[in-house]
Amino acid sequence: MKRWFSFHNDLGVQLLALYMLVIVPSLIILLAFDQLAGQRIQDDVRTNDLSLARAIAQETHLSITNSLQAVEKLSEYPSVIDADPNGMELVFSIFLDTRPDVNLIYRLDPDGFMLYHYPTGPGSTIGVDFSFRDYYQRALLSDEPLFSKGRISPTTEQAVATAVMPMWSEDHQFLGLVATNIKLASLSQTLADIVSNHRPEEGFQVVILDSSAQIIAYPDAELLLHEAPDLLPEIYAPALAGKSGTRITASPSGEERLYTYAPIPSAGWGVIVSRPTAAAFSTQITIHRITVIVAATFLVLGLVVWILLTLRVITPIERLAAISQSIGTNQKSSPEEREQISRMAKRSDQIGHLIRSILRMEKSIAARITEQETLLETSQAVVSSLDSQIVLDRILEQVQKLLGVKMCAVIALDKQRNAFRIRASRGLSKQYTEQLAIQPTEPRSVTMRALRSKQPIQVSDTESDSSFSAQRPRAQAEGYRSMLAVPLNTQHAPPTALLVFRPDPHVFSTNEIQLLVNFANHVTMAIENAALYTRSDMRLQEQTRRIEALVQSLHDGLILSTLSGNVIYINRRVGELADLSAEDLGSASVDRVLNRIVAKAPEPDKVFRDVEDALKGKKGRSAEIPIMVFGRTTYLRLQVFDVTDGQGIPIGRGLILRDITADRELDRMKSSLISTVSHELRTPLAAIKGYATTLLADDVEWDSKSQREFLSIISSESDRLSNLVNNLLDLSRIEAGSLNLSRVECPIDEVIQHAAERAHLLPDNRFIVELEPNLPTLYADPPRLETVLRNLIENAVKYAGPKAVIRIHVSRKGSSLIFRVKDNGPGIPPEESQHIFQSFYRVDASLTRLASGAGLGLAICQGLVRAHGGDTWVEPQEQGACIAFSIPLNGEPQAEPTNSKEEKRV
Amino acid sequence: MKSPTVLVVDDEKPLRDFVRRNLEVRGFNVLTASNGLEAMAIFNTQTIDLVILDIMMPHLDGLETTRRIRQSSLVPIIILTALGEEADKVRAFDMGADDYLTKPFGIGELLGRVKAVLRRTRWSETNTTDERIVRGEICADLGRHEVTVRGQVINLTPTEFNLLVHLMRNTGKVLSHRSILQNVWGPEYGEEAEYLRVYMGRLRQKIEADPLHPQYLQTERGVGYRFEN
Repeated sequence: MKRWFSFHNDLGVQLLALYMLVIVPSLIILLAFDQLAGQRIQDDVRTNDLSLARAIAQETHLSITNSLQAVEKLSEYPSVIDADPNGMELVFSIFLDTRPDVNLIYRLDPDGFMLYHYPTGPGSTIGVDFSFRDYYQRALLSDEPLFSKGRISPTTEQAVATAVMPMWSEDHQFLGLVATNIKLASLSQTLADIVSNHRPEEGFQVVILDSSAQIIAYPDAELLLHEAPDLLPEIYAPALAGKSGTRITASPSGEERLYTYAPIPSAGWGVIVSRPTAAAFSTQITIHRITVIVAATFLVLGLVVWILLTLRVITPIERLAAISQSIGTNQKSSPEEREQISRMAKRSDQIGHLIRSILRMEKSIAARITEQETLLETSQAVVSSLDSQIVLDRILEQVQKLLGVKMCAVIALDKQRNAFRIRASRGLSKQYTEQLAIQPTEPRSVTMRALRSKQPIQVSDTESDSSFSAQRPRAQAEGYRSMLAVPLNTQHAPPTALLVFRPDPHVFSTNEIQLLVNFANHVTMAIENAALYTRSDMRLQEQTRRIEALVQSLHDGLILSTLSGNVIYINRRVGELADLSAEDLGSASVDRVLNRIVAKAPEPDKVFRDVEDALKGKKGRSAEIPIMVFGRTTYLRLQVFDVTDGQGIPIGRGLILRDITADRELDRMKSSLISTVSHELRTPLAAIKGYATTLLADDVEWDSKSQREFLSIISSESDRLSNLVNNLLDLSRIEAGSLNLSRVECPIDEVIQHAAERAHLLPDNRFIVELEPNLPTLYADPPRLETVLRNLIENAVKYAGPKAVIRIHVSRKGSSLIFRVKDNGPGIPPEESQHIFQSFYRVDASLTRLASGAGLGLAICQGLVRAHGGDTWVEPQEQGACIAFSIPLNGEPQAEPTNSKEEKRV
Repeated sequence: MKSPTVLVVDDEKPLRDFVRRNLEVRGFNVLTASNGLEAMAIFNTQTIDLVILDIMMPHLDGLETTRRIRQSSLVPIIILTALGEEADKVRAFDMGADDYLTKPFGIGELLGRVKAVLRRTRWSETNTTDERIVRGEICADLGRHEVTVRGQVINLTPTEFNLLVHLMRNTGKVLSHRSILQNVWGPEYGEEAEYLRVYMGRLRQKIEADPLHPQYLQTERGVGYRFEN
């Protein structure tokens, strides 16, 4: 945006101001001089004219006075007084001869009749009454000579003015008058002489008016006795009133004139001198004109100079300023502007020179910027990828662009082949890049020389360079005539060089070499980066593999997701839960994975709501997901947590899916423990208390047999209670892991017999023991083993009832002994067989027991067997139940095994 | 008067025998069963005046047995259990039990409950007046042991019936837990506030239009209950 009128910002305005500063005072002085000189000239002209007018007036006055004196003298002649015609003729003739301006002398009688006039002539007016004449009237009242108004004399028929002398007698009798007619033409002749002294083009005009403003004298006789306004504007009144002065006004013909007037007091006449102002003030006008011309010249000159300055200097400078501002920015000037600038650049003056230098500067700055940009791009390319191949390709692309070459390459040592080979190239043939292999020891190779000397080496013409003769065919085949090799300063990567080829002979300038060295540094960086990355990447990958293996083998499911729900990481366990393969997992979203898991829940809708709540952060960010897996309910706990960065800002979300089935079972068992223990303890207690209160009751007297019966029941129920308490203690020891086994050589059949004895077999029960022959010696804790067997036998009796046939079968399998306790009862339903060993197991929430006390018994069995390192299970049976357990044979005796064996031998 | 027949059901023989012998010696006819199925079989073939049921039994537990009996009969049922949890008691009452004994118990307690339960039943059976109590939409016909709510006949156990009648007779009065228990269940009772909670709940379910916002059976928190017309 140009600011045309900003003083400080515009050179044009500043120059204009400077010009004005010089010119304006000069013009003011010029104008003042013009004004003063004009005034002076005007005053001079006026004074001149006034003097002239006064001189004319003076002369006319003298002439009039002269005439009056003359006529006064005439009146003194006796012949005139006496009106003697002869005497008058003589006097008059003499007089007329001396006065050429007088054309008639006459004598009027006291009544105004013409007495005589000289010369006489044909048109004699003697005897004519002239008493009407103004001079006659005035003469009657005067004894002084006087002058009449101008008029046409009837006698001479010429324009005349009359000098009149009234004549009075001694006794004041009016005797008439004597008068001389003065030719006005003669007056006019004087004026004509004066006028003729001036140049006709001056338009000089002199007029004498009489008291009645008739033109008395004027060079043009035609106008004599005409009224003054015929010739003059109304300016004569002051003159006739006796004043003199000047005045500029328009003449009746419309011309502006300078009128000067002066009075002739003796006759009451006035002299008017006039000339056109144009002539009168011609000097002043000339000076004025010169002033105007000079001022106008100054202005025009100034304007022209300013325009020229603007066009030739300021505008080019402004354009240059715009260009210089746009240097280095991305603003491109318009083509017209470019064209104008290039036109201006052709000028041979300083401006042209300046423009050319700035354009040169612009070009070189642009070139530097391009260079810098290319280097920057190269740097970006170096850091943009760790794939060194991509980086090298990009760098070579930049080399091509910047150095304007078609062929370039990066050559590096291939350690496997022990030869330098091209790692990346542009513009070179495939054959060349694939086949080129330079031995590191090759002495003449430019590349090797550069690498050895660690300095760039160029071959400016392959044809003329003698050191290049060996490689010349290669250069000819590939089509290059000059080349430059720059070594790279690599430390972690194999030796490498950057090569540039040109198809023409070319001496690479220092600048080009420097540029290529810069590039070489970038290439070094890229190669080193890649080499270091490969090393660190391998380490990182190994670490990642380890962590991966750890997380993958977690029993808990783990999902890491972005905040928007895209899976970042997901482990194998989640895949198992969601029935998704590893490939599916990679592309699955958190929602999809969870939906698949929740879909396996018996009530997916409800669970899904819980999961949604957990994901939204409600309910402690966790939810329970019961899912059916192979017909069994597995309980999963979903726990959501934030994954945060170093500043604690959430960057993602983690989800853990933990199988809490076992925990839940444990919880359930623990809560059922209380009620079962309570039940188990209260049952014998109820019998004891019942019979005790029965015995105590006052209202009934029991016979002694009944009393004994009740007391024995109390006793046996107390035993049962005590037994139960012992079992509970065992169980709590098993669960606490503090059960101390004392493994000794265990006589199996003896233990079985003891167990059977204590199992309260019913009278009709059959008990069969089947031992496999040649059983190895078993090291176990005999009382515990007996408890196990007793519990199982009791269990069988309870299930199978009074007619039960109970078989105990012992066999060897591998390194264990297998005990089987079979009955012919109703058997154990398969769905329950997994649970019956859990302590206080109850089939469902109803309070049905499998059998009295059995919930505890089987759990104790399992605990004791496991304490021995064995296991318990239910074997499917066509009829009846079969509960089996194993006791390992290699169970380390608690005492030293050798001792035990020795004991056996003893 | 014919001696009442009691059905004793328990899987524990010592306990069953203890109850049987004590009741027999006091003039009751006693039938025994060792599990729920057996009990149902006997119940369906005999006239039973009172059932004493253990909860924890194999083959049909006590609660289920109670439920099945209640489907066809209002016979008084006393539940025996080794479980002391209040939730279990509530469940028993929900199934329709009339009373509840926690093991271990003495013979005195048992006989007291038996007598009280029988008395409640008998009293309501013998109270053959033609009196009708009408409170709002509820009409109790004492002669026919029948209650109609909004014109519908509803099924009440004797204890429920007695409780409702007792409350209706004392319309507007606040009745303490103790006084209700002693008046309805019998003088042996007084501390069993949980009985009342269960029974009031069941009565509300049966007679109130909106059991959660009862109109008739009002709770006086910490004191007792009040029938409001």
